[in-house]
Order: sequence, then structure tokens, then C-alpha cells
Amino acid sequence: MATLAPTVAPQRGGQAGKDEEPPGGTARVLGVFKATPFTYATLIIVSAVLSVPLVFAVSIALSTDHTVSTNAFTILPHEFEWRNFTKVFGGDLPMGRFLVNSLIIALGSVIGQMVSSGLVGYAFARLRAPGKNVMFLVVIATMMIPTQITMIPQFILFKDLGWVNTYLPLIVPNFFSNAFNVFLVRQFVSRLPSELDEAAMVDGLGFFGIYRRIMLPMLWPVLIAIGIFTLTYNWGDFMGPLIYLNDESKMPLALGVQYITTTAVAGQPPPWNLVMVGSILLTLPMIAVYYLGQRYLYEMDISGGSAGVK
Amino acid sequence: MAMSRLRRREALWFYVFVSPWVIGFLAFLLGPMVSSIYFSMTDWDSFTPPKWVGLDNYTKLLTEDPVFWKALGNTLFYSAVSVPLGLLVGLWLANLLNKQVRARKLFRTLIYLPTLVPLVAASLAFRVVLAPSGPLNDVLGWVGIKGPQWLLDPSWVKYALILLSLWGAGSATVLLLAAMKGIPRELYEAAEIDGAGPVRQFWSITVPQLTPVIFFNLVMGLIGAFQVFSQVYILMPKASQPGTYNASQTMVPYLFDQAFSYYHMGYASAISWLLFAVILVFTLLAFRTTRRWVFYETEVK
Repeated sequence: MATLAPTVAPQRGGQAGKDEEPPGGTARVLGVFKATPFTYATLIIVSAVLSVPLVFAVSIALSTDHTVSTNAFTILPHEFEWRNFTKVFGGDLPMGRFLVNSLIIALGSVIGQMVSSGLVGYAFARLRAPGKNVMFLVVIATMMIPTQITMIPQFILFKDLGWVNTYLPLIVPNFFSNAFNVFLVRQFVSRLPSELDEAAMVDGLGFFGIYRRIMLPMLWPVLIAIGIFTLTYNWGDFMGPLIYLNDESKMPLALGVQYITTTAVAGQPPPWNLVMVGSILLTLPMIAVYYLGQRYLYEMDISGGSAGVK
Repeated sequence: MAMSRLRRREALWFYVFVSPWVIGFLAFLLGPMVSSIYFSMTDWDSFTPPKWVGLDNYTKLLTEDPVFWKALGNTLFYSAVSVPLGLLVGLWLANLLNKQVRARKLFRTLIYLPTLVPLVAASLAFRVVLAPSGPLNDVLGWVGIKGPQWLLDPSWVKYALILLSLWGAGSATVLLLAAMKGIPRELYEAAEIDGAGPVRQFWSITVPQLTPVIFFNLVMGLIGAFQVFSQVYILMPKASQPGTYNASQTMVPYLFDQAFSYYHMGYASAISWLLFAVILVFTLLAFRTTRRWVFYETEVK
């Protein structure tokens, strides 16, 4: 799936809703912007096709166990077994536990990235020190290293520390910032007016005081954007938990829901209805986060201008 | 020249502030990278002491391991098809959404929604959508096509992965749509006066104006696609297809398998460096060819 190309520019006023206006406001519609029946036909067909997996997943989530065992699913729901949504929290299915684990891992990571990336990014943007530019080049260069290179030695490191089968390998590295987030904060800070921190300096506030009292309150938009990225990544992360967590009781939802499909009794299909309930529980928070956070992402102009490319 | 007291204090605070990054860089990146180079030259199961074998792992991978080449080929095919295709579909949909359509917000939401679904949930949904008697094969059956065994037939697995990635074309769509809004309206007005039709305007104005965004996303998309893992792992559980598993293998799942199923830590480390080499080559290649097709505003005087 394609990657966002963030460009960071603090902007006044909300951008949301702007794109609902026709191009050029109330002016005459240019030929190239005129919608034809063909435009609508295409959009309707594409939207319908893209919705099929979602609708089908909901339909399966609402199926009875009998439908699952006979594999008699229909694309549109024809039965409504709402009990499936409560069933996953009782019995021998630890879905509630999975959810709690996901929250612990994701929130721990978010706090770590927000605290560390803010400090590091601010320092790179404002403070002067010998070797700073070389260090920043290294920060940028590290973005090119694929995680697979460090995956095995990191596993050995955490194994030696006795951290395997704990949340620590998934949370702790986030307290040491990451290159991408540092870059975001640095870009954001360098576009803020420097009069404020200079004035604070004259008033005798120390560097940490300037960061905490002056900078931090202005950094919220970029920190929330970082929080959203970190939350989304860690909530959905599959490979990390797969490497480090073996106990079912420690698995986050993203791993747990897949794990359920592997534990089915031989010769029987996995409990697809409950698996889809789990998938829906995994998805809904991401939709909520996106809609609540959209404003901040727009404010950050994260939606992809070309400045990040030049 | 000696620094003033204030400058020294400022520098000191700089090092304090960036220390989280420095520690993380040393402990989780540079250190592991150096050890990874060493591991890749050993035979090591992570329990007994490593045995130095020099470049043996690399020569074995490149000359004696058909699964590695198969995995590399599959990965390259997947990336080379899914990324450009995703961008093309995104460009096409963005162009439609950029017109004056009613209910644009609804269409945009429906197209974007799949990209909000975590990869694990999306892969699980596709396992049922692509099942032998799942909805996709049903639809194909209506028009008289006998659908393939998407997830069991190794020659079709690649296409299953591509379909899943195309389902997420909404992220490229939204990105390109935002970039399209930034194209000055005067360009289209001038073109219309000159008598250029919508198609001509799309290829002569919209596409050239978007090339920087397209290029950035092409490179980033390729890097991501080379590292495809969760989809492969979930769509094709190893247990369900012992015979065909290797034939539909890709790079990172192969690496993962070698490291964490067979504890071939040295061999797996060597795979990771070859993966890095592949990513690097393609990234450089993409950058080398930019001049030929990426348009930057500043080039026009």
C-alpha cells in the first residue's frame, strides 16, 4: 500500500472541508472537471467492488456456527448472530485480553515516541553544537536501513536481556525516538518563529525550560500526528509480536486474531465468524482514530504536497 | 576559537536532548548492523557458539539455493506489478474524484476505507474472499470463468497478493487527489482556450504536474513491497500447503522462516543483507532515472 509523503508546514485555520468546493469556487466549470455519466458509473462500480471484502467480513461475523461449519457464507448478511460479539469476550477465547495487550503496547509506544522525538527534533532544529549537521545526516541515512537487517541481532539482544515473551521489546525502543519522527518535529520547529524562545532566553529561562514552557505547547499538532502514526503502526504490527510473544495471554489483537485461525481442530475450518469479529474489533479503533485525528493530519498538511520530494 | 559560556551550555544541552536518539542509534541500529554483518558470516543456531564460515552463506544463497531465487523472483514480480498498478489506479480514481461529482465525499470515503483496515484484518478477510468458493470465484462463475485456487496454486498466489495491495489503492488516490488540487487552474484554462480536450489535458498538464509525488510514492512503495510479510504469512499458512509453500515464497517470509523456524541465524542475516542490496539498487535506479521523467516547477524559467 502506498506511503504518505508528509510535508510539514504549520498552517493557520483548518483545511478540512476545503476540498468539497468545486475547483475554482463558483466560477464556470472547465471541461476537464465536468463529470459525465461514465464518471459516475466508474465511481459506483469501484466503490462497490472495494466494499465487498468489508461487507463480506461483516456478514461472516454475523453468521452462526452452523453456517461456518458448512461454509455457507453469503456476501450480504442473511442472519444476524449478534451474540458472536459477546461470545468472543467469554469462554476460552481471550479476545478481551488481546485488546488490553494491544492497548498496553500501542499506548506505551505512543508515549515513548512523543516524549523522545519531541526533545530530539527540537534540539536538531534550534540548538547549536559542533557535529550537529553530521549527526542529522546520520539520522536521515538511517531511514534507508530496512528493519530486517537489525531484526535478528535485536532479537538476540532482547533474548539475552530476558525480554522475550514480554512487551518490553515492542515498547522500549520507542523511547529512543525514530528518524522519521525526529525529521517531522525538526521541520515543524524550524518553521516556528524564533522570537519567542529568544525572548525567553533573555528572560533567563534555561534550555529545558524553553522546551517545556515555550516549545511543547506549540508542538502539539506535530506530536499528535506522530502519536497517530505510532498508534496505527503498533496497533496493526504483526511481525514484532510474532517474533517476541509466545504466550496466548500476552498477544495483542493483531497477532491473536491470526493465532485463532491456526488453533482450529484438525479437519475443521477455523471459527471464521469469531475471527471476523476480532478483525472488526481490530479495525474499528483505526477508523475512529483516523476520523478524530484527521484535523491534525490536515493541519500538518500531511496529505502530500510535493515539497517532501524536492 | 573557544566557545562562549553560553554556547558551551547550549551545546551541552543539545547533546543531552539528542541522547535518546544517540543511545537508540547505537543500541538498536549501529550495534545490530555490525553484529549482523558478523552473523552473516557464521553458521549459528543462537544456542551454541557461532562458527565462522566467511562468505559461505552468501555463495550458498546465490549459487545453491533455488528457494532463495524463487523468493527473489516472486518478490520482484509482486513489487514491479503491484506498486505501479496501484499508482495508476490511484491516478485514475483521483482524476475522477477531482471532477465536479456529487457525493464526492462518500465516494472518497468508500475508496479510502480499505486503507484504514489493519493488514492482519485485511489479509484474513481476503483469505475468505479468495477461498475456492468465495465471493470472487462466485462472481467469476457468473460470467463463465472457473476461478483459480488463488491461495493454493503457487502460480496464482502472486496475483492474490497483488489484488490485496490494489484493495489499498485508496491511499494513493487520496494523496494524488490532494496534489491535483494544487495544480493552478490557469493551466487548464489556457489549455481549454488552445482547444485541448480533457484527455489531452490529463496527459499534458495533470500527469506532468504530479510526477514528483508519483515518483516519491513509487520509490517508497517499492521499498515497502520488497518487504512484504504479513500478507504472505497470513494468506498462505505454511501448514495448509507443505508442497507448494516454497514455490510461492517471498524474501522476508523466507528470512523469517530461516531465522525463527529453523534457527539459521547466520543464513538469515545473509538474506537480510541481500534484501538490503536489492532495495538499494532499485532506489538508486529510481533516482537515476528521475531526470528523464520527473517534472519540477523550478525547471521552467
